[in-house]
Amino acid sequence: MTASLTLYMLAASVLAGLGIYGVLIAGHLLRKLLALNLLGMAVLLMLITLGARGTGAPDPVTQAMVITGIIISISATSLALALLLALQRVTDETHLDAEPLPPVGEDGDAAGSR
Amino acid sequence: MTAGTLLDFLIITGLVWLAWQVVAGRELFRAIIMFIALGLAMAVAWARLGAPDLALAEAAIGAGLTGAMLLATYRRLLEHNPAKGGQRYARSSRLALPVAVMSSLLVMLLGLTLVNIMPVEGEVAGQQAIQLMQAVPMENPVTGVLLLWRGYDTLLEMSALVAAWLALRILQPQDAATLPPLSSSIPLLQALLAAAVPIAVLVGGYLLHAGGKAPGGAFQAGAVLAGAGVLLGLTGSLQRSTRASRLLRAGVVLGLIVFSVLGLGQLAFGQPAFAIPGLWTIYLVEGALTVSIALTLLLLFLGSAGVRRPAP
Repeated sequence: MTASLTLYMLAASVLAGLGIYGVLIAGHLLRKLLALNLLGMAVLLMLITLGARGTGAPDPVTQAMVITGIIISISATSLALALLLALQRVTDETHLDAEPLPPVGEDGDAAGSR
Repeated sequence: MTAGTLLDFLIITGLVWLAWQVVAGRELFRAIIMFIALGLAMAVAWARLGAPDLALAEAAIGAGLTGAMLLATYRRLLEHNPAKGGQRYARSSRLALPVAVMSSLLVMLLGLTLVNIMPVEGEVAGQQAIQLMQAVPMENPVTGVLLLWRGYDTLLEMSALVAAWLALRILQPQDAATLPPLSSSIPLLQALLAAAVPIAVLVGGYLLHAGGKAPGGAFQAGAVLAGAGVLLGLTGSLQRSTRASRLLRAGVVLGLIVFSVLGLGQLAFGQPAFAIPGLWTIYLVEGALTVSIALTLLLLFLGSAGVRRPAP
């Protein structure tokens, strides 16, 4: 295996950090869902990087588990999207505990002013 | 720096930049587009790490179908309440940054420690699986592992898909009027569909057949077939319906039933449960799984219990 596994492991940890940051600061629930998916991707990348140690192709058992992971994340995502649509039907809102921001383009750094 | 390292460096820079855009990008729509691009970059990373099966699955399911679902939901949110469509929200959390940085460092520490510990030769689960697989003619170790060694996983992930569909049936609006067709028909689209859908079916069939010896398999094939269905749904040739026909319901559970019956049937012959007796079983199970996966993913995309042809 010639790919630099250390680099991929560093990328996985940065993606995990970004995912956690996104989950914590996201206001709109759709964006929170994106961040959760990002966190999931980071975990899968980490698994595959670990599976690729040694020689040859990555461990087929790890690969099978990651395929399972991909299918589970699309199931969970579609369920979350349906819940989001149902929440909007009932409450007319797309956020839970977040503050509205001024619309895009009105002034420079809207996020920082709060 | 070799060309390979440079390529890795470029892929990783792309991944991190796209992830930052997903988390901190200004507009939600842009964040969704960046998320789809991130899925494709991840597929490239996995191809580079030597896992083409995963690259296929990620490109078709992680980027393609998830992206289509996110965009369709975004549009439905806008249609429901156009006035609030551009509204942005933020949570003020002082702890977010330190928590994220510390978790990232923890993952980095663990990951870099683990990646430098070489696995003990001969004790890796994957190697043992490949050695034991000599008895069964499966040249693609990933498909082999999914069906021969981790059959429970495969069965349960199919159950997770079906469970998501069941939840969707409960959550969908009961009023049929709130389920508009996703798009109206445009004349040129029919010509595109006439070419694209048969090709997608052909590719799906190839991926299913090739799964035994080359990258591919039931999940990738099902995702490509579902992609053809998504195209039909977007162009209005298939429409959402609050009711699922008997045939459709049978299709959704076909994979579960075939796999369970064959797997548990082994008990009658004194074999362990889910021991796959031969190649014909593998083709039967993979075929049934493909049908169920394609139908379930399509229904999850449409966000409805069933589909119907549009009224003429």
